[in-house]
Amino acid sequence: MKSLLAFMKKEWMEQVRSGRLLILVIIFILLGIMNPAVAKLTPWLLEMMADSLEASGMTVTAVTVSALDSWVQFFKNAPMGLIAFILLESSIFTKEYQSGTLVLALTKGLDRHKVVISKAIILTLFWTVCYWFCFTITFGYNTYFWDNSIAQNLFFSVICWWLFGLLVVALTVLFSTLSNSNTGVLAGTGCTVLVSYLIGLIPKAKEYLPTLLMDGNSLIYGTVEARSYVTAIYITVLLSVVCLAISFPVFNKKYL
Amino acid sequence: MDMLAIANLQKRFGDKSVLKGLDLSVPEHSVFGFIGKNGAGKTTTMKTILGLLKADGGEILVSGEKVVYGQTATNRHIGYLPDVPEFYPFMTAPEYLSFCGEITGMSRIEIKSRSNELLKLVGLGNEKHRIKGFSRGMKQRLGIAQALLNRPKLLICDEPTSALDPVGRKEILDILMAVREQTTVLFSTHILSDVERICTDVAFLNDGVVNIQGKLSDIKSQYRTEEYVLETGNEEELKLLMNVFAGLKKSGMNTASFRENDHTLFDILRFVTDNRIRLLKIERVEPTLETLFMEVVEK
Ligand SMILES: Nc1ncnc2c1ncn2[C@@H]1O[C@H](COP(=O)(O)OP(=O)(O)OP(=O)(O)O)[C@@H](O)[C@H]1O
Ligand SMILES: [Mg+2]
Repeated sequence: MKSLLAFMKKEWMEQVRSGRLLILVIIFILLGIMNPAVAKLTPWLLEMMADSLEASGMTVTAVTVSALDSWVQFFKNAPMGLIAFILLESSIFTKEYQSGTLVLALTKGLDRHKVVISKAIILTLFWTVCYWFCFTITFGYNTYFWDNSIAQNLFFSVICWWLFGLLVVALTVLFSTLSNSNTGVLAGTGCTVLVSYLIGLIPKAKEYLPTLLMDGNSLIYGTVEARSYVTAIYITVLLSVVCLAISFPVFNKKYL
Repeated sequence: MDMLAIANLQKRFGDKSVLKGLDLSVPEHSVFGFIGKNGAGKTTTMKTILGLLKADGGEILVSGEKVVYGQTATNRHIGYLPDVPEFYPFMTAPEYLSFCGEITGMSRIEIKSRSNELLKLVGLGNEKHRIKGFSRGMKQRLGIAQALLNRPKLLICDEPTSALDPVGRKEILDILMAVREQTTVLFSTHILSDVERICTDVAFLNDGVVNIQGKLSDIKSQYRTEEYVLETGNEEELKLLMNVFAGLKKSGMNTASFRENDHTLFDILRFVTDNRIRLLKIERVEPTLETLFMEVVEK
């Protein structure tokens, strides 16, 4: 237990001193502010362009925006946040392989599984904190400008998206134990998500796939029922656990 | 009991066989020099002892416990200094030592006192900067400190002196010699003078097996050659000698060497006195590790 804490302390120190934590926090704050800001600015932008639009034959009717528009932005920007997160953190294992810094820690008697656990915990923790930080900011602005209650299943939909992020974190951990390079980790994680997305284009398969959880819009507009996401949630959680479970034996046999 | 016992260790990389049935036994409280040329497999052997490489065959016992690849339980007995130690660059030296101490489960007070003591010992006591800016020699020193941190029973150093200046080398050798009281030291090197300076035991690794191993003094006497060198006052006198004794091999302006089984020492000395040749020096050649090493490698 003590060695696990020691290793997590080291991870934390690394994230803070390398400035990665700071960059992540800034990105997610910006995203959190952008969601309501874009929604708020849309009518104003349209008004600005009204003249030129009318000249090209389009008529501009007065648009009213609501909290829904801001939440649509939230689900549009969440993938960007997740991609930024993975880009920044994909080297969490591979950098140690390349520099050989794990060798001394392991020869000091640190159990290999504790390396995986520490890094998985740190990633999960960071994703959770960043994501909900971003959510809280958007939520706060929305409450101030409009009324959040018109968004249906709001908490359910953002929890779904958070769970999807957790699966991506688990995939990152798995591919980090399989691959020695940063590119391998990104490619593996990216391809898995892409495959899930492509299969999801088949209507019948859709409800079983983790990528369904990214579709928050349908939930907040109430076009689908929350119940139809349950299968995908189970599968996402199960996949995340399986990914992590596979990482341990893979990492145990890894040549460092 | 042997601190470390290796039996019939084999290791291949692809189709290249690096270790072909290596046997090694390191007695307790010895300073064991592990000698071999570049690419002989010294690092490979050490990594296998630490469970960082999977052996293709054979068995390794550390303090009587079997080493298993990936599971690093036997490593609690071992302090390891790799050939190129890599540390977390964002930490300072004391931070790194306390990280190591916490991993091995030392108490906070113990970590504090032990790291102060060790950093002073290796000459990094006043170093406040992060490891990022350390030179290779400084990393080597920190490497020694981390290896000794939890008072290991077996200290394994992979070419500990290779990055150091002459003063640093002497310091590190003195440290290795000093810790012998508490631990057993196994270190690899190709600097033979280091071995002669501090080792009690040696092993030569060549072509995947250990050719010779044992007490340094035993090996030296076992391989004692019957060779002498002599030095005369001038070249003419040497020529005079060489005309009579065909087995003399000229090795300098007025020096030559010979083997006891070509000419006996007494014959030569008699000739020297009879002809009143001025003899500046005559001595029996002590076998150096270098000649031994050459012999082993060329065999
Ligand atoms: N990971 C690896 N993959 C393939 N071959 C390897 C690997 N590691 C070592 N070798 C080969 O094994 C042989 C022994 O290497 P090793 O590093 O053990 O030598 P060494 O005795 O430590 O040499 P040096 O004195 O240069 O440090 C070399 O010929 C090297 O090419
Ligand atoms: Mg080596």
